[in-house]
Amino acid sequence: MKRLWQIRELSTVVILALEIAFFTWWLWPEAGRTHPFFNGENALLILKYSSIYAIAAIGAAIVIISGGIDLAPGAVMALTGVIGSNLFVVHGWSLAASMTVGVATGLATGLLSATLIVAAPLPPFIATLGMMGIARGAAFIITEGQYFDVSSRLLGGWRPFGVPADWVAPIVMIVLAIIFQVLMTGFQWGRAVFSVGGNETAALFSGIAVNRVKFSVYAIAGLLAGVSGVVLVLVQGQGKADLANGYELDIIASAVVGGASLSGGRGSVIGAVLGTLIFGVLRNALPQIPGATFYDRLIVGVVVIAIVVMDQTLLKKRV
Amino acid sequence: MRRVVVLIAAIAIAACSGGSRQAAGGAAGHRLRFAVIPKSLDIPVFNYAKIGAERKARELGDVDILWNAPTSADQLQQKEILESYITQRVDGIAISALNGDFLTDTINRAIDAGIPVVTWDSDAPNSKRIAFYGVDDLASGRIMGEQAVKLLDGKGKVAIITSVGATNLQRRLDGMKEALAKAPGIQVVETYDIKEDAVRCAEIISTGTRRYPDLAAWLSVGGWPVFTRNATAPIDPSKTKVISFDTIQPALDLLREGKVTVLLGQKYFGWGSEPVQILYDLKHGKRPPATIIDSGVDVVTKDNVDDYAARWKKMESGG
Repeated sequence: MKRLWQIRELSTVVILALEIAFFTWWLWPEAGRTHPFFNGENALLILKYSSIYAIAAIGAAIVIISGGIDLAPGAVMALTGVIGSNLFVVHGWSLAASMTVGVATGLATGLLSATLIVAAPLPPFIATLGMMGIARGAAFIITEGQYFDVSSRLLGGWRPFGVPADWVAPIVMIVLAIIFQVLMTGFQWGRAVFSVGGNETAALFSGIAVNRVKFSVYAIAGLLAGVSGVVLVLVQGQGKADLANGYELDIIASAVVGGASLSGGRGSVIGAVLGTLIFGVLRNALPQIPGATFYDRLIVGVVVIAIVVMDQTLLKKRV
Repeated sequence: MRRVVVLIAAIAIAACSGGSRQAAGGAAGHRLRFAVIPKSLDIPVFNYAKIGAERKARELGDVDILWNAPTSADQLQQKEILESYITQRVDGIAISALNGDFLTDTINRAIDAGIPVVTWDSDAPNSKRIAFYGVDDLASGRIMGEQAVKLLDGKGKVAIITSVGATNLQRRLDGMKEALAKAPGIQVVETYDIKEDAVRCAEIISTGTRRYPDLAAWLSVGGWPVFTRNATAPIDPSKTKVISFDTIQPALDLLREGKVTVLLGQKYFGWGSEPVQILYDLKHGKRPPATIIDSGVDVVTKDNVDDYAARWKKMESGG
């Protein structure tokens, strides 16, 4: 049992399960009515909206584990969404081609941040803060305050490879979470990311190409923010410059709630995804409680602090 | 040395001749520079105000429009922009105030400096502004409430969508609740705060529709639900009606298809053209007929949507 508890993700799963149990009890329906929260369709809804944050949170977790920070994902999501939807709606490109360019834009922003951090070298906070401004600004220049209505061009039950539209975002999230969890835990590159975040000097002396590792994590974070932006466009049905405004903080909070330490060297990809689900459940359940809509900011703030305090207490016990 | 002296003299002569040319132009009908400041650049409806202002400027012939605003709703940034136009001594300012009370002193400073100020869309009623052009938000909220009562035959559960913090949205909400209160059979199950996030709006509609399967109507004081098809997708229009502000596409298509029942359109083009006309008249010694110029709202239903769309197209193309 003690060994089981040492698996960091397990405590996040327990928190998520407790949260689900609480809302299932709180929102228990009158006899004869279906449960408004605990049902399959609602679970899919939570997964669909959480995946917008979760894909970018995978990248954020990797950056945080490496000892860095990325403030750009919200703005990059907006920019990639705007570029992808502009090509699709205005220029009549195919959906696949438009969204591929969108994702490539995300990668390009990541490469630029990585270059600024490794080659300049700028502190990650400053480089990604600048990138946040550049990406959001570029999105506004493209839209000029308008938006691109993707939903009207995806009429008639869009089903890529026969998969229902609502399932696309959760599937992308799960596949990417598995890929990056494996890369982080089973490959040398992942172990190098942990080493750089844990002690950069020690990593350098042990022969790890620190700059190369750092470069790769910001490039990946940009790429994943690009995928998140495309998912956002597909879920929301529009490309708009002010979408995902402030999401970077939710994304970072998800990674931290999922066990990532802002001082680096600790965290997990699956944990970050579970962190976004903890917030996704809150976003889904609170509107079902009359009057709670004005309290949800406060509740989310309290939950972040409570989970991190709990995590640190447990960590001390584990050590 | 001689060359330097000659160069300085040449620059000085050029500067003086430029200055005198400007002074001469100012005295004898120089081009008028009017600053038009919306609340922010990320709200799509304001682009139509820009079209209206620029079209009016072309009509008048000797007017240049300086269009600027914060990228997102930021009161301090809007004040800074207003102040910069006062120091630039523009010929007139037309502004949609994010917070009228916050801008009152600055607007008064502009008036004292001889720069006429007209407010539009959102007023600063305690300032010395020359006139206000726009909709009476309380009245338009009341119209929305009355439309809901009429549509629902005075009975049923309704959920309201708003974004807390904006003065004009709060007044619409107050007006709507006032009208709904007159029908005791109508029950407001929830007033949702979407925090200016269109994705959050879509998520809340999905959750709320599941939570209240017997909901008779969604009432939105902003256009978030009708700017994409995806937001209203979970709603069954045979059971739940949608009444929303704003008429930008795909809103009109949603109305034609019966997904949305009533839309309230504002005079988006007039927001730009009317204040410019008022400022132009003031410069030519003609004061506006009244301090408050009520633009009214267009109530758009399936019956008049085609007529409305035709008028829109004409205005958009500059007709």
